[in-house]
Amino acid sequence: MRLSLHVNGTTRAVEAEPRDTLADTLRDGAALTALHLGCEGGSCGACTVLLDGEPVRSCIVLAVTVEGREVRTLEGLAGDSVTEALKRAFHEEHALQCGYCTPGMLVTARDILRRFPGPDEAMIRRELAGQICRCTGYMGIVAAIRRVGEALQETSGAGA
Amino acid sequence: MDGAAPAEGWIGTRLLRKEDARFLAGKGQFLADIRMAGMEDVCFVRSPVAHGRLNGITKPKGAVFAAGDLPPFQPLPAGPDLPSYRTVPYPPLATDMVRFVGQPVAACLAPTRAAAEDLAGLVELDIAELPAVVDARAAMRPGSPLVHEGWPDNAFITSGAHGGEFDAQRAAATVSIRRDLRMNRQAVVPLEPRGVLAYWDHRLDELVVYLSSQAPHVMRIGLAQVLGLSEHRLHIIAPDVGGGFGAKNRLMPEEIVVCALALQRGTPVRWLEDRRESFLSAPQARGHVYDLTLHADADGNLLALEGEVLIDAGAYALWPTGAFAEASMAVRNLTGPYRIPAIRLRNATVATNKPPMGAYRGVARPGACFAIERMIDEVARALGMEPAELRRSNLLTPEELPYRTAGGMRLDNGDYPRALETAREMIGLDAVRARQAAGEPDGRRVGIGFALYAEQSGHGLKEWARRGARVLPAYDTSTVRLMPDGSAQVLVGIQSHGQGLETTLAQMAATALQLHPDRIAIRHGDTAVSPFGFGTFASRSTIFAGGAAVRACRVLAERLRIIGAHLLQADPAAVVLADGEVRHGSAAVSYAEISRAAHVRQELLPAGMDPVLEATATYEPPESEGTFSYSCHAALVAADPLTGATEVLDYVVAEDCGTMVNPMIVDGQVYGGVVQGIGTALFEEIPFDEGGQPLATTFADYHMPCASEMPRIRIAHLVTPSTITEFGVKGMGEGGAIAPPAAIANALADAFKAEGAEFNETPCSPRRVTAALDAAGVAP
Repeated sequence: MRLSLHVNGTTRAVEAEPRDTLADTLRDGAALTALHLGCEGGSCGACTVLLDGEPVRSCIVLAVTVEGREVRTLEGLAGDSVTEALKRAFHEEHALQCGYCTPGMLVTARDILRRFPGPDEAMIRRELAGQICRCTGYMGIVAAIRRVGEALQETSGAGA
Repeated sequence: MDGAAPAEGWIGTRLLRKEDARFLAGKGQFLADIRMAGMEDVCFVRSPVAHGRLNGITKPKGAVFAAGDLPPFQPLPAGPDLPSYRTVPYPPLATDMVRFVGQPVAACLAPTRAAAEDLAGLVELDIAELPAVVDARAAMRPGSPLVHEGWPDNAFITSGAHGGEFDAQRAAATVSIRRDLRMNRQAVVPLEPRGVLAYWDHRLDELVVYLSSQAPHVMRIGLAQVLGLSEHRLHIIAPDVGGGFGAKNRLMPEEIVVCALALQRGTPVRWLEDRRESFLSAPQARGHVYDLTLHADADGNLLALEGEVLIDAGAYALWPTGAFAEASMAVRNLTGPYRIPAIRLRNATVATNKPPMGAYRGVARPGACFAIERMIDEVARALGMEPAELRRSNLLTPEELPYRTAGGMRLDNGDYPRALETAREMIGLDAVRARQAAGEPDGRRVGIGFALYAEQSGHGLKEWARRGARVLPAYDTSTVRLMPDGSAQVLVGIQSHGQGLETTLAQMAATALQLHPDRIAIRHGDTAVSPFGFGTFASRSTIFAGGAAVRACRVLAERLRIIGAHLLQADPAAVVLADGEVRHGSAAVSYAEISRAAHVRQELLPAGMDPVLEATATYEPPESEGTFSYSCHAALVAADPLTGATEVLDYVVAEDCGTMVNPMIVDGQVYGGVVQGIGTALFEEIPFDEGGQPLATTFADYHMPCASEMPRIRIAHLVTPSTITEFGVKGMGEGGAIAPPAAIANALADAFKAEGAEFNETPCSPRRVTAALDAAGVAP
């Protein structure tokens, strides 16, 4: 069947079966690569995208259920100031090694900072519980999110 | 980091990674990101039972292939090339027998994976089930069912290690501690599962194989052999690889079958492993069973170690080396960095009805470290000594190095007692002792545990030949090519899949060539691009590929010097190379000008100088027995006697990997390794029931370490440069994963030392902790 998906600000028609997941549809139908499949069971978070602004595991969302809703992958967050700050911090804090978890990690990290301004380490670690990284031991990831959170606090404080 | 080289050079610089940009943009190219027109996806039909006779397969209409539907595969003997080793073929698709749950039996093809799964669901297998061999120790008892008919017992290979004056040392002992210890089977879990895409390229007249692999060149050898294909018609590309850790360093049946299908059908054929398949059939790890006795005198001097090590190797040997480094490395590494003058150890690598074991970060040493470090704590407890003190007095001192261990390893240099003292200081042993005396307000118990290891790296020909390896990864290769504009490509036979080698190797080449790393590109992972090499595993790539690149760079640097001096009309002995220039006093000529002369303005070259600036070098360290990095880990844990839940409160590492090329990347490797080791210590296990059914096949029942349970890890670096490698580097990719199971189990035992509870089996899950507390009579 033909679905009309709003992905990253544009509407595109993609072929999908009723059983197809959003993850497969975004990857195979829309040729997006900033989401990866690590478990296909909603556990690892590598396929995290935003659905109407909320992070979801696209491997356990059926594509047919998102018609008419707004899907945003990491590709669609290019230029977003928090995302760009997180990318810089991930680079500077060595928050990635193999890079497979990175897109999902960035989408979740941005959401953590959206919900919790200036989170401390314990908060960041708790909120990252659903994102598996096998390489970094989470140290750089936590440091990067914390650093961006602190910088955002300073910015908003200065503007207040 | 633009501009000139830092004053101290590129070695030791925290250069940010050159590989990050593509991953941060979501533009990494992993196997599933590669698509071909007309591509078919594969779903494998796998054995649902652990052991049985395959009497028949009922196939639906469609593209379903069993063993008889493909041309016969050529023999591919795997495992050690030793007369004492029992070899059995591992058919890529099962023929008459199935020997583990998940063994591939048939391949189904369809335009999508979902349709291929539909097809696989219609395949019926007629299997007469046989008793399964599940436990390695039971497998070695007389009367056990046999995994392989006709064998006298279930051992692939048995061996032993004897060293020192064992009888005399044991006779001097006043304390002898005997324990059973187990490091259970677990998965390796690179976050990107396995995958392969193969197609015949008509233009190049070759089979192109995209393979999520740590070792494309080596896999080409095995694939060519088993497919009966000439190696010049086989092109392997390992694109971005989402983690390996050892799990992508063996030739797997699915990979062979996909290549055979691509050859037979003439269309691109792809298989992407899903997570459940990964738990069922990817190479598994650990699976160590120990029965050890450690002898010591009344002063706590360790004297002798004896006993048995069994490795639960699964049903088959994976090419090339299977799990056959585990047993010999376990016994040889058991004495660690300690002065234990005598050993008498037996080992067996045991066939069981489980997936074949491969390698996992640390290979054998996490088990060996766990075993000896747990025993050392028990000796200390028996003697009423502080475990850290007993360690200090038994650690080899710098003055004793190099030291030949009872297991035959030559420990080269370093300061083990200083690593212990550093970790002890960082974790605050005295403060913890006071805290324990005061008790915890929440009723939990806190404990502190130490563990040390020495990790062999950079070992060469003699060491690998001694092990009977079929492939001897005792050197590596690099081609360095100066481009006509003076930039450089460094082609290497390793494969970087998270280790940051595109950065580390660029720093090494930058130093040898005196060229900014921004002007250097590292190319790897493609057999058509890189010179032959062995891939990335065994903490080898910085030593071997870095060494080869440095040697090739030096050849080019010498030619740059001669051409540059000629262009400057100077004596070659009087010029210097710096920042991409050859300089003579205040005059300079850039590499761009030199390389332009060498490539397109040859009339400017000195008489007799060949055009083109390209050099290939191989590298093997001059000392074949390797160079040892080492560390001391210390863990502070809190355990709840009621629930058995263990929290790691603090974790410190005092490590020495020689010269650090990039300290940021070194730290990242240690952090990642430690968290994997904590996973082994507390969470990760694939248990099997008595029928050989795996009991953890999703992340719901296989518990991965997540950020929320992990401590902040603190690292101190001791730096004792290796005397045998370029720049004094030592291998360090694996070390972080070696010591955590030992340190954490020791910390748990320390928390309950008053009652004498012991934690001798990993993972120390809540159930095992409460069982150990029950056995010791600890009231919650």
